[in-house]
Amino acid sequence: MVFLTGFIARLAKGFMNPARIFGAGVEIERKGEVNIGIGLSTEKDPILAAREAIRLADINIHSKKIDLAIVFSSMDLACVSLLKTIHLSLKGRVPIVGCSSAAIISNQGVFKHGLAVMLLSLSKNVYFNIACVRDIKEKTALSAGRELGEKLLYGFRDIRRDLSVIFSDGLMDEGSNLIYGLQERLGKSFPLVGASASDNMRFLRTYLYFNQEVLTDSAVGILWGGKLNFGLGIKHGWKPLGKPRTITKSEGNIIYEIDGEPAVKIYEEYLARDLAGLQKEIRRISILYPIGMYLAGEQEYLLRNILSIENNGSLRLQGNVIQGSIIRLMIGTKESCLNATRQALDEAKKILFAPIVDITKNEVKNFVFVFDSVSRYMLLRREANQELEIIKEGFGKDTPIIGLYTYGEQAPLKAISYHGQAYFHNQTIAMLNIGG
Amino acid sequence: MANLFTILSLAIVIVSLAIVMMLKIDKIKKLQTMVDKLRKSLEEMDEQAKLIVRTDIELNKTQEELDKKITGLYALQRLSRIISTTLEENQIFKVIESASFEDLGFEKAFTLLWDAQENKFIPQLSMGYLGDEIEAIKPQVNLDRDIYLDLIKTGKTFSSISVPPNTALREKINHIFEVNSFVISPILPKEGNKGFLFAGTENMDVTITKGDEELMTILSNQIGQAIENARLFEKTWRTQQELEKKVEERTRELTLAFEEVKKISKRKTDFISSVSHELRTPLTSIKGYAAILIEEKLGHLPVAAKERLEKINRHTDELVHMVNDLLDIARIESGRALMKMEKQDLKTIISNTADLISIQCKNKNIELITDIQKDIPLVLADRTQLERVFINLLDNAVKFTPENGKITIKAHTEDNVIQVDISDTGIGIPPDSLSMLFEEFYRVDNPINQQVKGTGLGLSLIKHIIEAYKGKIWAESQEGKGSTFSFTLPIKG
Repeated sequence: MVFLTGFIARLAKGFMNPARIFGAGVEIERKGEVNIGIGLSTEKDPILAAREAIRLADINIHSKKIDLAIVFSSMDLACVSLLKTIHLSLKGRVPIVGCSSAAIISNQGVFKHGLAVMLLSLSKNVYFNIACVRDIKEKTALSAGRELGEKLLYGFRDIRRDLSVIFSDGLMDEGSNLIYGLQERLGKSFPLVGASASDNMRFLRTYLYFNQEVLTDSAVGILWGGKLNFGLGIKHGWKPLGKPRTITKSEGNIIYEIDGEPAVKIYEEYLARDLAGLQKEIRRISILYPIGMYLAGEQEYLLRNILSIENNGSLRLQGNVIQGSIIRLMIGTKESCLNATRQALDEAKKILFAPIVDITKNEVKNFVFVFDSVSRYMLLRREANQELEIIKEGFGKDTPIIGLYTYGEQAPLKAISYHGQAYFHNQTIAMLNIGG
Repeated sequence: MANLFTILSLAIVIVSLAIVMMLKIDKIKKLQTMVDKLRKSLEEMDEQAKLIVRTDIELNKTQEELDKKITGLYALQRLSRIISTTLEENQIFKVIESASFEDLGFEKAFTLLWDAQENKFIPQLSMGYLGDEIEAIKPQVNLDRDIYLDLIKTGKTFSSISVPPNTALREKINHIFEVNSFVISPILPKEGNKGFLFAGTENMDVTITKGDEELMTILSNQIGQAIENARLFEKTWRTQQELEKKVEERTRELTLAFEEVKKISKRKTDFISSVSHELRTPLTSIKGYAAILIEEKLGHLPVAAKERLEKINRHTDELVHMVNDLLDIARIESGRALMKMEKQDLKTIISNTADLISIQCKNKNIELITDIQKDIPLVLADRTQLERVFINLLDNAVKFTPENGKITIKAHTEDNVIQVDISDTGIGIPPDSLSMLFEEFYRVDNPINQQVKGTGLGLSLIKHIIEAYKGKIWAESQEGKGSTFSFTLPIKG
């Protein structure tokens, strides 16, 4: 809330000092709308890691005035002293959002232990607001989504809204409902990209970062407005297998029956395992073989991971399903996974509006967020770096990249019937390409 | 007619309908077969899909195993490299990185070494545990020390595979170390404290394989080897340190002893000096009175008395000679000797001294040869002292050389020094006497010395003289063949 008032004050002043760069002794106003600097650290101590990452990010942004910090860290660094150090290193004036992750993605590689900080310096044409919602379980995901939407909209009355980026608790049951709540406030087809935080593949606890706080059971968001250029691509690369089946009984994120039989039968049949064995291993199994839901009007199957199997044979999923939908068992390979990366990358590059050229370097200035599913990390394993290489090659070697591995992604499927309604996804790689 | 026509046409219609029906039924039948066929192939396809999934899941599992193994091997190699280059025992556990351990598939690790003196296990390394968790594990391990001591004794790795689930032991270990699966492998350096390496994971999905056991066994062997090396190195290093310390101590002791000896030596010199002075006065009186008596100035003396007086006179002379030698030595030792430093020509000195002994040589028919380098340089020395050296050495040579023998005096320059060698064909000196030859009052035990009197100060005196000139003196000898006395004098300016 403290930040919000600061933000409005800045809005009133209208950014007195737009970002400037200096070249050949002549002061030239920079044409880019967003300047960024990324800093990475693999120090084990959170305080040292924070200091190093901030120092490097500050060098990369050429010590411009910083408006926002986005922070991703591995679980071992996820603690209050990390956030406090970042806060202090930024002189206590910069809003911070972010979350924990199984691994950190950056230009330098994929790091199981590490911290990535992205500092943003915005031009007078770009506005943003950050907000946070806590105690989602108690409030229900739907009303938490509404609350987050309302908070994000605060102060955005007369400004064009462009995009919302959300980070949420990765172990939340009703990921879909959070989106519905948000969409009720922001608009059904409003571009929304999100990542569910992850932990070190233990599925015990995931953390959200909001200013100096480390939170669980929460979601944090950024709403962008003004004149932000961005492109988005999302793909999973899993292919349907076996005959189509129909959800005959379901509610929210629970499938009770498929084709009139207990839902678990689909896994029992295909994998030739009994209920007890499946109950123990379903999390890993469903990462490799999720359920794909066919959506009328969409080109892609929407994937759902399974959190657990009840004793009566019903499946508890990470996102909602619709009763009556046709579903398939899905299968993925490393190759199909990497192909999806290439496709998502092309999408993210294509949608970007007229790119803005950095006059000093005569090149396109943009940066990329990668929200990559841990399932893909698990499938690709040692080839995770290969995926990063594809992304780096696709966007150009010097394009700054920052990303994390998620327990769920939120983004629109490629839509035909209407413009980009966001869904809760599993197993995808989402790339958000923001033009500077 | 009309009726008939109607009936007929009805019949035709019925027939054609029947035909159409028949055709339709046939088509339906055909379609039905097709549907059946399709359904069958769909079912077949679904069966195939099941097969694909099952194969795929196996494949993934294998791949996962393989990946795990490769990552583990890389980690092991990395760890081995670091461990094997560490030579300090307490550093070995510090260089092990948690990241490498995680690559081996374990986020928790603990190492304890048995301390025989304290009779308990002492933690060396812990990963994935907080401070108070470590404190909690310590006493629990020591409570069940027998389990781990037994492990060390048998030297066998054991893990979640060898300890079946739901057994008390498995539950105990899982509980103490807060894990779900584990590998415990003994660390067995040949000497000193042994211990074990514990590695575990909380992850429910992980099952320990034989491969994990093998990797951990290799790692714990590596650690054991490294500890062994470190201990050996430490031992060698410590021995060397001790040796150095001892040498230092001894050197100090020796220096002290040497100082003490120097002090004593000085006291001795002073003593001799003063005693000699004190002796000289009464000796002079004795000699004076003896002379007066011999000259019969105090009255006639019987021959026997005169003979005795002659003896007193001679012995007094010997005593005076000895006292003078002692005084000279003392003077030289204390640096109080008066030296008249002049350039001396060795040729002159040698010929003068040779002249002095020529009569004795003739008497014993000894051949005296001088071999002096032609351009021998002049030396800076006190003439009297230098002559004394030659007289002494030549005297000795004549004394110990039997009749018809040979004495050679050689002088030549060699590396900034003049070396003089005086060789004889005498009886020689036994090897064990050679080193003591130049000591004061030392006399070689041989028949000649038993007959001929001497003070045992001559060689000591000339050694002092030569050393005062910063030269060296030594003797070489072969018993029965002869001896060579050599000395050097530095060439100056």
